Amino acid sequence: MITKSATTFITTSATSPALHFSKDLMEKLAILSDAAKYDVACTSSGVNRKGDGNGMGNSLACGICHSFSADGRCISLLKILYTNECIFNCSYCQNNCESDIPRATFTPEEVCTLTMEFYRRNYIEGLFLSSGIIVSPNYTMDLIYQTLYRLRNVYHFQGYIHVKAIPGADPLLIEKAGFLADRMSINLELPTADALRKLAPCKSRHTILKPMRQIQNSIIQNKNELSLYQNTSRKGTNNRFSLTEQSRFVPAGQSTQMIIGATPENDFQIMSVAEGLYQNFSLKRVFYSAFVNTTHNTNLPVLSGGPPLLREHRLYQADWLLRYYHFTISELLSEDRPNFNIYLDPKCDWALRHLEYFPVEINRADYKTLLRVPGIGAKSASRIVKARRGSRLDFPDLKKIGVVLKRALYFITCSGKMMYPTRLDEDYICRNLLSDYTQIPRELREEGYRQLSLFDDVNFGGDSNVYLSMRG
Amino acid sequence: MYIFQCEDSIDGIFTGIYDAFASHYGHKNIRLSTNSHEDMCLFSEYISVRTDIDKSQKVGRTLFKRFGIDFYETICKCALADGSFKKLSMDKANAIYQTIVMAFALPEAEKVLNFLGEPCIACLFELCRQTNNEGHHYLGFLRFFELENGLLFAKIAPKNNVLPILAEHFTNRLPLENFMIYDETHKLAIIHKAGKDYLTVDASELDLTLTRQYSANEENYQKLFKTFFHSIAIEARKNPKLQSQNIPKRFWANTVELADCQ
Ligand code: SF4
Repeated sequence: MITKSATTFITTSATSPALHFSKDLMEKLAILSDAAKYDVACTSSGVNRKGDGNGMGNSLACGICHSFSADGRCISLLKILYTNECIFNCSYCQNNCESDIPRATFTPEEVCTLTMEFYRRNYIEGLFLSSGIIVSPNYTMDLIYQTLYRLRNVYHFQGYIHVKAIPGADPLLIEKAGFLADRMSINLELPTADALRKLAPCKSRHTILKPMRQIQNSIIQNKNELSLYQNTSRKGTNNRFSLTEQSRFVPAGQSTQMIIGATPENDFQIMSVAEGLYQNFSLKRVFYSAFVNTTHNTNLPVLSGGPPLLREHRLYQADWLLRYYHFTISELLSEDRPNFNIYLDPKCDWALRHLEYFPVEINRADYKTLLRVPGIGAKSASRIVKARRGSRLDFPDLKKIGVVLKRALYFITCSGKMMYPTRLDEDYICRNLLSDYTQIPRELREEGYRQLSLFDDVNFGGDSNVYLSMRG
Repeated sequence: MYIFQCEDSIDGIFTGIYDAFASHYGHKNIRLSTNSHEDMCLFSEYISVRTDIDKSQKVGRTLFKRFGIDFYETICKCALADGSFKKLSMDKANAIYQTIVMAFALPEAEKVLNFLGEPCIACLFELCRQTNNEGHHYLGFLRFFELENGLLFAKIAPKNNVLPILAEHFTNRLPLENFMIYDETHKLAIIHKAGKDYLTVDASELDLTLTRQYSANEENYQKLFKTFFHSIAIEARKNPKLQSQNIPKRFWANTVELADCQ
């Protein structure tokens, strides 16, 4: 260790010039972050990038959460709208042109100053810039582009940027913005074209899916070009283009968001749309936003129980099963069974209806089979596969590995033995799982647990409609 | 039993490993310990290890060359961890020592880390995870305050010695800034001068009054961030339990946005 006085370091550092600071910036920030908060995506993940030493910033593929707001959600990015002076009239949105709310618009310089100053203090991981439509889609997209351009090329910002593509904007502008951003998103808003027509008459499936397709194609094209470039330059061919970091197009991929509970679609419809987006548009993430009624418009439902948070939670769990656990939606839901069980997570629910696959032998089952066991996550599954090469695994080993035994124990054997004598029976397992208070979703524990005990004699493993009807 | 008592630091533990191997007492008869206050056992000989940078570096190089970077990093992160954690089955220096002994005995040494059934590997794994988790938390929860002279100052109070992780990260992230991260628990600091690499320094005598002399803009940006922090929360989803589960209260005091909410 090198010893040197820490105090001298502080007293001898040079002074840096003070930056310009305007007072109404505070007001604008209050308005335009409030206006942006119903966009749920705040992740900064998907891209690894080292700083080049000449600017500020880098990026980690795992993403970093910098704080958590009072609602418990992660704050990773400075999430703001460029403007909320919107000319559109989406009825679910508080910024629509008919609502009577304070309005504001940033300048590119202000967005840059906020981003840089927040970033260097480590408040944030980067910028999430969305916007209402001011003047026209093109005018708005151009302002967004100008802002990103300044941030990347004048301020040399190398941190994470998530930017919205504005529906109806010129493809060329979207393309240019995409070369400056890490992630781009365009919100699907509502699961069906019909719902969109009703609640967001200025938008259409076409103006949303067209740029989504464009971004998908540009990502693929850009990847091909980059690998071609890398191959030729490895062979020593002289290439007169220098492809820097910034010639990558949306390296962290594309995402979207659907509002849940503003329109009557069921879980099966919603998840089928999500599955389609993953398969056909190569999306990185689909986000689900429990509807919060802020406008009290007559064509919107009044949600007496507050936003449908538990439903949102189940959709995220199912989404996870699609992306990392090799499930398809048709395995989880169907026309006859169109909604998730609110008491059991989708994987547990699936397992209970497919007991023919169980019990699974820990020391033999392949990775994909292990993934399907309730209580075994992707990490534990891969640890099991590695650890059992060394020695046979027993229940205490599984605990060390991170398996949630109180859930898994009904579905597994170690060297042919179960942890406790249990029955491989749907009702029996379900009753036992639910008798553990901590396994009940928090939302139900706090509000609906008494209801649950009323239903004690209900056959939980069977027809799920009984408890689905309890959903607000 | 021969018990090598070493200082609780990477260099201390690596020196202990060097001395243990050089002693030829036989691995079965050796235990390493970072706890100098442990109850003495009869029939054991206690050997106090004097930390030696040369020996430590030799051990570090050997581990790196023989077993690869992943193994080396895991060992280092384990050495940086807070070993006083109650549920731990083993002293951390001993877990490291046993793991290294095992690695030398295996034909495919890198695979040693997969043997989670072994007590020393389970312990290593747990400690490494502890350091990683806290390090990752601080990558996000650390806050810099701008002092009068433009220097960015951060104070942390970690259980594990996460400074090396933070130093690497912020040196790459803020290459053109002068900054300092002060670890209150371990009385260490890292200092970084614009355009240079970072240095680790002893901060037991750091004058803390200097670190409260903020620049003219500092309070404004703090206010701006607090404004953002409060207006980004959705009232209808309020959930303080989830919030403090995600950002445990022990981190709050050194943040900007939650410092007065405790
Ligand atoms: S376009 Fe629609 S959703 Fe977007 S800000 Fe305007 S009204 Fe709101």
